[in-house]
Amino acid sequence: MNINATFFAELLAFCIFVFITYRYIWPSMENLLEDRRKEISDGLEAASQSQRKLEEANKESATILDGAKAEASSLINQANSRADQIVDEAKEQAVEEAKKIKLSAEADIEQSANKAKDGLRDEVAALVIAGAQKILDKEINAKANKDIIDSLIKKI
Amino acid sequence: MAKENTQNLIETSDYIGHHLVNLTFGWCEKTSSWGFANHQQELFKGLDSACKVSEMGFWSFHLDTIFMSILLGAVVFGFFGLVNRAAKKGVPGKLQNFAEFVHEFIASAVNSGYHGTSKIVGPLAFASCLWIISWNLMDLLPVEMASFFGHFGGGFNYFKILPTADLNAPLALAIVVMILVTYYSVKTHGAGGFLKELFIVPLGPLEFISYVSKHVALALRLYGNLFAGEMIFILIAIMFGQFAMSFSQTLWFLPGLILNLSWALFHILIVALQAYIFMMLTIAYLNLASTKH
Repeated sequence: MNINATFFAELLAFCIFVFITYRYIWPSMENLLEDRRKEISDGLEAASQSQRKLEEANKESATILDGAKAEASSLINQANSRADQIVDEAKEQAVEEAKKIKLSAEADIEQSANKAKDGLRDEVAALVIAGAQKILDKEINAKANKDIIDSLIKKI
Repeated sequence: MAKENTQNLIETSDYIGHHLVNLTFGWCEKTSSWGFANHQQELFKGLDSACKVSEMGFWSFHLDTIFMSILLGAVVFGFFGLVNRAAKKGVPGKLQNFAEFVHEFIASAVNSGYHGTSKIVGPLAFASCLWIISWNLMDLLPVEMASFFGHFGGGFNYFKILPTADLNAPLALAIVVMILVTYYSVKTHGAGGFLKELFIVPLGPLEFISYVSKHVALALRLYGNLFAGEMIFILIAIMFGQFAMSFSQTLWFLPGLILNLSWALFHILIVALQAYIFMMLTIAYLNLASTKH
């Protein structure tokens, strides 16, 4: 155990090493760790924020979906009622048309019946005239009897 | 038989002495010149006229202590400096992880123990703790190794690789702590207040005695523990080394190995613990100095 000038050398060396630590080692590591701490807390903050955003977006998408569903069902309802309406309208139209067709068919039938009656009457009249002419060929003047025959025709 | 025992005793004390003498370079009164102490350097023959280590005065240097402590400091602080320089904010590598672990360990000790504002306490604790650990780890190297390589490699007959076992080194650290404690005491309490605390209030000069002794004890505690540990390694080496001298008893090598190993394992605890204690006391003293009470 002898104290000698080695002491001063060690003193100087220690001061130099403390200075090196103070200047180059300690603060850089402190800064690094502080930066990392900050980064991690920022990251956690960002993560919770995005979690919140995600929840909000989920909620928003759910409401949008609900709206869309409601809209779709109302559209379907509307379409259904419209279709019913169209079918009803078509039925009505068809009925009307059918009535119209029936009416015109009836008119046609009446007309043709009338025509046929007229034809028949003319033919019968002609036949009557022909028969009467043959019967009365000699004595009856065709012209004198024409009025009688015409009134006959009209009666038929 | 009696003669043989005496011979053994001389050899033993020589052996111990060999392991406790530093490689000394200094001013020799006798020859009025600077030089190595007697018998310390085989490269310079004819130094029998030179001073013995004990004859050299205050102006001598323990070159082994200085060399080893600066080498270890360069390795340790170089390592941390380089790792910190290459450190990145993202995912750390293994070396960076280690550096961060060490830093956070010391920083948490400083933050919990020191409540002042000084920026020097963290670096001081860091530097002292790591430097002392690196010194103390040298104690785990085999006691013969340094002498072996010194003797056959470089011609140095005396070379102690454990700076902590040279009181100069721990004392230098303790004195730096003492200077800082004094500085912060004066800064906090004022020169008058500090002197009053030392010499008058409350028990007169007792406080001054405690003030000096606690700093000396800081150095002596570290020195004593490591010196004693080194001593036990030397004693184990002697005990079994001597038995093994006679070839028929070479088997004594084995218990020696076991004993050495078990003491080394136990000593690892002391290596780290003493460095930790030194750091914690440094922090505590500085905390007392820089807070009002």
